[in-house]
Amino acid sequence: MSKIGLVIGREYSSRVKKKSFVVLTILVPVLFGLLGFAAIWFGMKEQKHFKVLVSDPDDITKAKIFIGQNENPPATFYFTGEELGPEDYEREDLKEYDIFIGIGKNTVTNKIIRGVYREEPSLNTERYITNKLETRLEEYWALDKGMSLEKYREIKQSFRFVLTDIEDQGEADTRAERQAVGFGFSVLIFVFLMVYAGQVMRGVLEEKTSRVVEIIVSSVKPFQLMMGKIIAIGLVGLTQFLIWIILLTIIMIGVQSFFLADIDPAAIQAMGEAQIPGELAGSMPGNDNAAAQLIFEQINWPLLLTLFLIYFIGGYLLYAGLFAIVGAAADSETDTQQLIIPVMIPLMFVYFVSFSILGNPDGPAAIWGSQIPFSSPIIMLQRVAAGTVSVWEVVISLILLAGTFVVTTYLAGKVYRTGILMYGKKASWKEIFKWLRH
Amino acid sequence: MEMLRVENIVKEYSGHRALDDISITTKKGEIFGLLGPNGAGKTSLIRIINQITGPDEGKVYLEGRELKRSDIESIGYLPEERGLYKKMTVGDQVMYFARLKGLSKSEAKKKIEEWFEKFDISSWRDKKVEELSKGMAQKIQFIITVLHEPKLLILDEPFSGFDPINADIIKKEILQLKKKGTSIMLSTHNMNSVEEVCDSIALINHAKLLVEGSLKEVKEQFRTHTYAIQFKGMMFGFANALFSNFSLEHSEQIDEERAVAHVKLLKGNTLNDLLKTVLPVVEVEGVNEILPTMNDIFIQSVTGKSAVETSQDKKGGENE
Repeated sequence: MSKIGLVIGREYSSRVKKKSFVVLTILVPVLFGLLGFAAIWFGMKEQKHFKVLVSDPDDITKAKIFIGQNENPPATFYFTGEELGPEDYEREDLKEYDIFIGIGKNTVTNKIIRGVYREEPSLNTERYITNKLETRLEEYWALDKGMSLEKYREIKQSFRFVLTDIEDQGEADTRAERQAVGFGFSVLIFVFLMVYAGQVMRGVLEEKTSRVVEIIVSSVKPFQLMMGKIIAIGLVGLTQFLIWIILLTIIMIGVQSFFLADIDPAAIQAMGEAQIPGELAGSMPGNDNAAAQLIFEQINWPLLLTLFLIYFIGGYLLYAGLFAIVGAAADSETDTQQLIIPVMIPLMFVYFVSFSILGNPDGPAAIWGSQIPFSSPIIMLQRVAAGTVSVWEVVISLILLAGTFVVTTYLAGKVYRTGILMYGKKASWKEIFKWLRH
Repeated sequence: MEMLRVENIVKEYSGHRALDDISITTKKGEIFGLLGPNGAGKTSLIRIINQITGPDEGKVYLEGRELKRSDIESIGYLPEERGLYKKMTVGDQVMYFARLKGLSKSEAKKKIEEWFEKFDISSWRDKKVEELSKGMAQKIQFIITVLHEPKLLILDEPFSGFDPINADIIKKEILQLKKKGTSIMLSTHNMNSVEEVCDSIALINHAKLLVEGSLKEVKEQFRTHTYAIQFKGMMFGFANALFSNFSLEHSEQIDEERAVAHVKLLKGNTLNDLLKTVLPVVEVEGVNEILPTMNDIFIQSVTGKSAVETSQDKKGGENE
């Protein structure tokens, strides 16, 4: 085995065998699975079924509320012609009702519906009740104005607004939503870069402070040692990522088949809707089908995942070299906190830029950000997911990224070989630049 | 037969000259002592021989041909700043370093077996280094250095950090390796060990080579032609007889009638001349030459003063 292979082997296996790696690798997907499961489980538990008594002396509702076939209603409506007042709520025969709502002829004109509850319903239940009653009252109003129910329902149907790129007509534009998916990848790459490049830095420092480094560099070239470490930690990252994907898939399938088999899909759908605050709902895909369509049809997953891997590797190689410089220049863990600042500032800046370009994947910030090698691994995926980027842009950014990490790795190697043998003091950035000129 | 030859080595670190035109030759099978005070440039030179850094000028030759990358497999290096991977087990660690030095897995396994038995440490194999004492870790370190049976062993301050018992074990091992034909270069501050184990030395100070040669040659070079004479008789008469051809450096009364005097020969006089001079006044019981110790040579070369002067300076300083 070549020497760099031996270094990679040691670095990789020592990390993969660590308890913290095993725990983290298994725990994260399990935790995600549990959280998802808990959310669904508690969502179901929370759904107390409400009995709603509608006091309708003028018989506006005709004691009828339209309930769809596949609905899993969180509340049932009951009707009475009696006009109810505060003194009636504690009556023995009305004790079983949770909510009382009063409707009269003037409700339709002054547009106020009043009700009282014993126990506050969830947002989801409340929305269900108001929706159903509103629709019923609007239907009454329409009939009152001489319009047929069919006509009314036709008018009532909401518009789905489809805005399309002038050059890319025919396909509905879900650019913003797709970019949001890309944004998820941006964050993931950022976190991965921080975690794994950080590990490179700590690994370098550990070898330096334990003084083992001088024995190693008498057998392998410092550059081989550095590259071996960088490659091994990158592989650890990819391993972890791969295991997460596999475990998450298994857990999701498991959760679906074991726990959700007997749950009405509509309940999940209702919960999904309930979790979206009203204002945001407008900006989300019009309905669940659109979301599914977004996820399953409009996002080019193979492309996105492939590019995710490529940009992660490129970005990691770029930043790992820089983090290795910091590790080699420092003499203790505390030294790194100061030395790391010049490396962290661009990374943090890019992270914030990645928020600012949400909804504007074609703006100058996004275009520049997706080309500059220090930011392209984080920014480009948003643009790719949004589908607003041409092939040559990706190619150019990858060439720039590759060129830059070759240069930074070369420079890191120069700093590294001097820095790792400098014991006893932290190097300043001034000294680091001096080492570069050696 | 020459083992290692460094020629006109110059090395600078950002304006500071660490090695200034150093040339040294070591012979096959000898123990070569690289001496010098802290910061003299010993470690810089050792790192160049180990190809950890390159020289700015000059060349290094191993067995007569220019040093190349693959030669690191025939060199064993114990650095002054040493350490091991704390979380790795002893067995894995030794295997890793053996393989980095080019041994195959099976070769390494066999050799590890041998050394572990030799040092009686087979039970440590599955222990993590962080569970070992410092002395234990140093033994492992030594094994790592010699496991691949290097032709040239470079030991930077091999005795520092070892307790006397372990230092002695290491010393014996070094001598045994020499017997087997290994050439050894060691840097040390411990002048006693230099006298005990080294065949040749080189002394570096302020990046420059001051002294080089076999121990005998160097001692010859620093010889002061001073003799210790033990005699029966009066010190007064002895001192008077010396007159201006000899200088009485030191004298000591052993008992009522016996004394020892340290006499330096001056003006080309020989020991015979000295004896002729003093025999008429005292009864000589014994004579031997006082050769400089490595400690004296070290101090004199580095400070430019003799060991006696230096210790007097020190006393003077203390009195002030």
